[in-house]
Amino acid sequence: MLSVAGLTRRFGDHLALDDVSFDVVPGRMTGFVGANGAGKTTTMRIILGVLGATAGEVRWNGSPLTHQVRRDFGYMPEERGLYPKMKIRDQLVFFGRLHGLDPARAGERTDKILGRLGLTERAGDILETLSLGNQQRVQIAAALVHEPIALVMDEPFSGLDPLAVDSMVDLLREEVTPEVPVLFSSHQLELVERLCDDLVVLSRGKVVAAGPVAELAAGPTATYRMVMDGDAGWLRDIEGIKVRDVDGATALFDVAEAGLDQLVLQQAISRGSVLEFGPERVALSDVFREATR
Amino acid sequence: MSNEQSRTTLQRPWQLVAQREVSTKIRDKTFIGSTAFMLILVLAAVIIPALISGSGGPDKIAVLNDAGVQVVQQADAISGGDSYEATRVADAAEAERLVSDGDAKAALLPGDSGYVVLGDDRVDSGIQSNLREAVVNLGMEQNAARAGLTPDQLRANTQLQERLLNPGPLPEVVADFVNIGLALVFYMTALGFGMMIAQSVVQEKESRVVEILAAAVPIRALLWGKVIGNTVLALSQIVVIAAASLIGLILTDQADILKVIAPVAGWFVVFFVLGFVALAGLWAVAGSLATRQEDLGSTTLPGQMILMIPFFFSVFAGASAKSVASFIPIASSMAMPGRMLTEDVPLWQPLVAILILLAATVLIVRLGARLYERTLLQTGRRLGYREALAIKAG
Repeated sequence: MLSVAGLTRRFGDHLALDDVSFDVVPGRMTGFVGANGAGKTTTMRIILGVLGATAGEVRWNGSPLTHQVRRDFGYMPEERGLYPKMKIRDQLVFFGRLHGLDPARAGERTDKILGRLGLTERAGDILETLSLGNQQRVQIAAALVHEPIALVMDEPFSGLDPLAVDSMVDLLREEVTPEVPVLFSSHQLELVERLCDDLVVLSRGKVVAAGPVAELAAGPTATYRMVMDGDAGWLRDIEGIKVRDVDGATALFDVAEAGLDQLVLQQAISRGSVLEFGPERVALSDVFREATR
Repeated sequence: MSNEQSRTTLQRPWQLVAQREVSTKIRDKTFIGSTAFMLILVLAAVIIPALISGSGGPDKIAVLNDAGVQVVQQADAISGGDSYEATRVADAAEAERLVSDGDAKAALLPGDSGYVVLGDDRVDSGIQSNLREAVVNLGMEQNAARAGLTPDQLRANTQLQERLLNPGPLPEVVADFVNIGLALVFYMTALGFGMMIAQSVVQEKESRVVEILAAAVPIRALLWGKVIGNTVLALSQIVVIAAASLIGLILTDQADILKVIAPVAGWFVVFFVLGFVALAGLWAVAGSLATRQEDLGSTTLPGQMILMIPFFFSVFAGASAKSVASFIPIASSMAMPGRMLTEDVPLWQPLVAILILLAATVLIVRLGARLYERTLLQTGRRLGYREALAIKAG
C-alpha cells in the first residue's frame, strides 16, 4: 500500500500542502481531484521524489519509501516529456532499463506494449514524428514498460478524445495487476467517477474528502428519494427524518439514523403503492463542489 | 511480485545514461560532421607542411669545386642523408646571387684557412654545424695523410659521445606547433563537448523528460552518466584523430616527431581527462540553469571564459607566465603537456600540477553536482549561478 502521511510543503510563504494524508490501496484505482493549484501535482511530485517535502513522508507498506522501491514505480508527469528525437522503441527500452529491467526483458515488454497500442509499425520512428495523441500513448507506455509496482499519473487522459481514453483505460486495466496501487489526478470528474474505486479530494492544500467513491457519493447523511402514487406530505409528521422537498408524490428526505429508512418504507406501503424508494446518489461533481466550497 | 526475477541484473543507472549519451551522439549528424571536420583539419596540418617542405627536397648548398662537393656530401652523410645537395657554380659572385635569391640555402666558399659559409641574413645552425664537422673531418684526414697517419690513427681517442640526462626538446618551430596543437586539441574538444553536454541537459529540461529521469534514478547518476559518457566520447574522438595523424606522420616520413611526443602522450591523457571532467561538471550546470536552448548563450559564458582565457595565456604568454599557468587547474591541462615537450620539466612539476588539478576537479565536480541537483528540476525560468548557489536543497 502506498500512503502519504502528514505531507506539508511550503514554497516560500505559500503553503502548498498542509498535512496531507491518504492511502492508495492496491488493486483499487484512486482518483485525485481538486481545483487548479490545490496541490495535486505537488503531492505527486513528492511521492516520486522529484520534489522534497517540508514535513511528512511517503510510505510503502508502512515503512518510509526508499529510492530502491521508488525505482519500480511508474510515473506519468503532468508536463509530458520524452526524448523528441529518439526512436520510440529505443526510448521505451531505455526507460525500461532505467527502471531496472534487463535488456531482453525491456525489449520484450516494449514490443508487447507497442503491439497493444497499435504502434508496432512505428517502433523505429522518431517520437516527434508521431501525432500528439500517439505521443501521449507512448508516454503512458513509458510509465508501464517496467511493470511498475505502483502507478502515479498526473492528468493521464487530458487532451485525449473519448475513444483514446477508452483504449488507454483498457490498457491500464490489462497492465495493472491487482497488487498495484494506482493514483491518478484528473479534472474530468465523470471519468473519475467511472474509473475510480476511491477518491481523494484536495482543496487549497488540504484533504477535504477521502474514501470509496460510492460512500462519498452517498453523501454525509443518507438522502432518500421516494415516489408514491399519492401525496407524500405525511412524511413531514414522521420524527427523525428531515424532509428536503415534497412535490406531490415525489419526496426527498434525509435519514438521521440507520434503519429509519425501513420504517418510512413500511409506512409508505401501508399508505399506498410505492413506485420508487432508495438512496439518492449525488453526482461526483456535487460532492466535489460541496467538499471544496 | 513476478517482476523480481527480471530485475536481478540491475545495471548501474549512470552506465545506462552514459550509454544513451554515447549511442545518441554517434548517430548525430552534427557530431559526425564535426569529427570529420577535425579529422580533415588535423590531417591537413600534418600532411601539408610535409608536402611543402618535402617538395624542395634537400637543401641546396652552392659550391665552387669538387672539394666543396665532397664537403657537402660528407655533411649530408653526417646529418643522416637526404639533407644537403651541392650545386656547382662558376664563381663566388654567382654563389652570392643564388644565396640572396634563396635558390641555395648557403654557399661554401674557399676561405683563408679552410672555408667560409655564406648565408643570406643568417646561416641555419644545422647547416653550419654539419658543414663544420665535414670540413674538419676532411681537412684533418688530408693533413693526416700528409703526416703519414691513417684516418683511424688520427681519430684515436678523439671520440666524443653524447649522453643526455634530460633528452633535448624539439626544434623550436616544431615545438611551438606541437605546443599550440596540444592546447588547441584540449580547447576545441572541451569547448565542443562542453556545449554538447549543456545542450543535452537543456534538451532534457525542455522536453520535460527530466521529470521521469529524476523519478527513476538519482540526479547525481544522471550527471555522472552525462559526464562519463561525454568524456569517453571525447577521448575516443581524440584517439581517432591521433591515429589518423599518426598514419599521416608515418606516410610523410615524419615519424621522428613521435619519439618526442610519445613520452608526453600519457601525461596529456591524464591532464586531459581531469580537466575535461571538471569542465564537464560546469557545462552540465550551465545546461541545468537554462530552461531553453536560447539561454545557453549566457549560462555557458563562464565556461567559455574559463577555457578561453587559459588557452590564449598558455599559447601566447612568455615562458615564466606559462610555467605559472601550467600549475593552475584547467590552464594546466593546456600548458603543462606543451611545456613538457618544449622544455626540460622536472618530474615533480607535472605531478604537483596533477595533484592540484585533481583537487580542483573533485571540488568543481562536487559543487557542480550540488548545483545540478538543485537546478535541474527548476523549469520556470533561467537561473543565475549566484541564484543557484543560494537555493536550498530539496
